[in-house]
Amino acid sequence: MKGDAPRKTLLTGMDAGLFLCHECHYVVKAGDEAENLKCPRCHSAIHPRIPNSLAHSWAFVITSLVLLFPANMLPIMAVEYMGSSECSTIMDGIIYFFKEGSYGIGTVILVASVLVPVFKIVGIIMILVSIHFRIESWLRHKTLMFRFIEFIGRWSMLDIFVIALLTALVNFGFLSTIVAAPAAPFFCGVVVSTMLAAEFLDTRLIWDAAR
Amino acid sequence: MDGQGQDSTGNKKVTLNPRDVFLCPDCDLVIPKVAIEPGEKLCCCRCGCVLDAPVENGAEKTMALSLTGLLLFVPAIFLPLLTLDILGLESTGSIYASVKSLLVSGFVFTGFAVLLTSIVIPFLKLMLLCVISAQVCMHRGSRITVAMFRLYNRLDEWGMLEVYMIGILVTIVKLFHMASITYDTGFFCFIGLLAATLLSSSMLDENYYWNVIHEACQKSTQSQTAAETLVPVPSDVVEERT
Repeated sequence: MKGDAPRKTLLTGMDAGLFLCHECHYVVKAGDEAENLKCPRCHSAIHPRIPNSLAHSWAFVITSLVLLFPANMLPIMAVEYMGSSECSTIMDGIIYFFKEGSYGIGTVILVASVLVPVFKIVGIIMILVSIHFRIESWLRHKTLMFRFIEFIGRWSMLDIFVIALLTALVNFGFLSTIVAAPAAPFFCGVVVSTMLAAEFLDTRLIWDAAR
Repeated sequence: MDGQGQDSTGNKKVTLNPRDVFLCPDCDLVIPKVAIEPGEKLCCCRCGCVLDAPVENGAEKTMALSLTGLLLFVPAIFLPLLTLDILGLESTGSIYASVKSLLVSGFVFTGFAVLLTSIVIPFLKLMLLCVISAQVCMHRGSRITVAMFRLYNRLDEWGMLEVYMIGILVTIVKLFHMASITYDTGFFCFIGLLAATLLSSSMLDENYYWNVIHEACQKSTQSQTAAETLVPVPSDVVEERT
């Protein structure tokens, strides 16, 4: 970033009277009937910015924040071994790996299932707040952070896939079985709602502060 | 920038041809269209978003890779991935079995989430990509192609095969100490499927696809209207005259 002065003179689509189709990235000239403009290439409705982007994004972020508590506090997996059942939360599983000495895999799970959801929620809230207060600094960094949040979004499903595979694999009847526990749907909900929050957030709103 | 001038009110009034520019989808910056070579990338100078990344023979490559993926799909999903052996007791698990066991044990939402993200959406993505690429190769397209490509773009980030792959690796490490593990056919098919899926979506040149589909659509509507103007007088009208 080379200071604020040259940035403000750059021409944006809004200034030039050009709209971008969000589905197929076709550039359309803004007419008088900007209300129901349709993309000539993919026939989807064109809006200068995604409509109600912030409201949707807030809704999904708050949903995921609420779901995050049961997802981390309730047990996510139950191991039955010789008739005795033992439930474990996400943290229990990570602590188990660190105690066993497998630090690599422990770190992978710690990052994917605890740090990533928290980072996503905090990051999106930071971006939303900065849009509300029209904060002009760190624009490029915020965009990069958002791109990173979009990229890591799907990786939190890791724990769910592991549990799904474990329930199918470890099925030895009385000797040992693994079943999913109540936190699994909540955790799934966290992943889905953070992904939706990122999908609805229009990054161009970050840059509108600089206009 | 070209075509920039002042209007009567003194505000900066800009008239640009929409075909000559890219608009950055992430920061709305106007960027003049430059022709770039296959393998190069055009990035937004303000936020770094990739605007254009042509691939040489992209449609053919994408079609070949998505066909490969489709061939590997059924064995990768339904054949067992791993065999566990604890004290002589054996147990196998496939991706399909993992979804089934979640659904059977009452976790309907979680089960459906895994079903969608690891089976249904990856399959749909490969299927759509194969059909769309075939049409782009032949320079054909219709409203259905447009709808299919839109659906593909929507589904793109919801297919999570690579996450499942890491999940398999984590599972292996988890069970490493208590059981002996053998890798089955499904495991290797899954690796192939994953490679085909990732490569096919990285070879996809969206701008080129949209342009080809758009041109084909315009051509078909033009020929339709031309055909309508050439339609002879309807037969009932002819009968009335006689």
